[in-house]
Amino acid sequence: MANAREIKSRIKSIQDTKKITTAMYLIASTRLRKAKQSLDATRPYFTSLQTALSRLIRHMPEVESIYLGTGSYTDNGLMRRGYLVITADKGLAGAYNNNIQREVLRQIKAMAGPWELYVVGECGRQFFQHHGYKIEETFHYTAQNPTIDRARHIASVLLERYRAGALDEIYIAYTDMENSVTATPRFFKLAPLEKGYFRPMEMDEDGYGESCEFMPGLTELVNRMIPDIIAGYIYSALVDSYCAEQNARMMAMDAANRNAEEMLAELSVSYNRMRQTAITQEITEISGGARAQKQKQVSRRERV
Amino acid sequence: MAAEFHLEVLASDRVFYTGPCESVTIPALDGELGVLAGHSELVTAIEPGMLRFRVPGEPEPRIGAVGAGFAHVNGDRVWVLVETAERPEEIDEARARRAYEQAQEELRQRKGMQEYRLTQANLARAMNRLKVKRGERF
Repeated sequence: MANAREIKSRIKSIQDTKKITTAMYLIASTRLRKAKQSLDATRPYFTSLQTALSRLIRHMPEVESIYLGTGSYTDNGLMRRGYLVITADKGLAGAYNNNIQREVLRQIKAMAGPWELYVVGECGRQFFQHHGYKIEETFHYTAQNPTIDRARHIASVLLERYRAGALDEIYIAYTDMENSVTATPRFFKLAPLEKGYFRPMEMDEDGYGESCEFMPGLTELVNRMIPDIIAGYIYSALVDSYCAEQNARMMAMDAANRNAEEMLAELSVSYNRMRQTAITQEITEISGGARAQKQKQVSRRERV
Repeated sequence: MAAEFHLEVLASDRVFYTGPCESVTIPALDGELGVLAGHSELVTAIEPGMLRFRVPGEPEPRIGAVGAGFAHVNGDRVWVLVETAERPEEIDEARARRAYEQAQEELRQRKGMQEYRLTQANLARAMNRLKVKRGERF
């Protein structure tokens, strides 16, 4: 059994660790709030953009664009797919990284045909590299600080490959924070965008009038709008994942804090018990010694 | 008093302006496009440039440097959706100048198509910022 000093130093070390996890918890909660704010700031723009595009498509359902899917295609096993995977730069966030990586591997295995990996976040990069998956490109320093410029950059890299014909489809894999308890890994096809994606907004307003003028041309407009929408989707996915990451970290740190509390409680009980035992023992020894002395004196007196 | 309509200028990272407006001048692809109340329905692409709009009761028009985007005119409502929008006083001239010089430098070095496009867009943005900052009309 450990002695009192060992327990004491154990308690100290747990208290120090707990300080760190508490700080991490607080940092994660601040970052989460900030990320949510910046996402809210961009929301009006993207909802309007989506509404505008869905109106365009409704106005001209037969409009064709390389960015628009028809909804029907045959998978001949030769589809070249690009996966944009969003992970975190750091661990210590529960199963956050693990879940999304597993989901991507599952998807890659399920789909036939060649693929390319584009990874955001240091954790994902190391994971895929370690497991022998070739990474086409990593976007550094993006997971921690999602900005619209970064999203635009990522979109331009991916769409360049798409336009060049090197990729037939682009998917994004991110973590959606449904609420503060559940986060689900999600897959979404960024390109070609299915026209059905724009349907849900149909109820809000009717389409354009007959006399509506388009400059420059409808197809050109659609082709200019969609990359922006894709960048917007990437941005919101980045922020969503970032929120999920911070939330996962908050929960992990919260659990760590609670574990620390538990351990501290246990340790302090055993420390107190040990202290008490030591004291009792000392008292016993002293009183034993005193009694022995007394008996000695008594016997000496009797002898005299 | 001129007739009013509702104007919304939405940048990708914030709401730039939303409220009543008497007239708006949009930097469209083939030159500036002035819109008054009751304009016929129109959708147009926007190039980086200067956006001007008159708010009722204000003597001077408000000015903003906008990035690429779209405008949608629908009778009594106008939406301007742009990637960036800044007021002249928000523009850091030194920074815009640096960006301008850097973009020009990069254009001189021959790079891939994708870099070229990005740089060109950066250059257009920087030039536009400088222009708006100095209050030039074009």
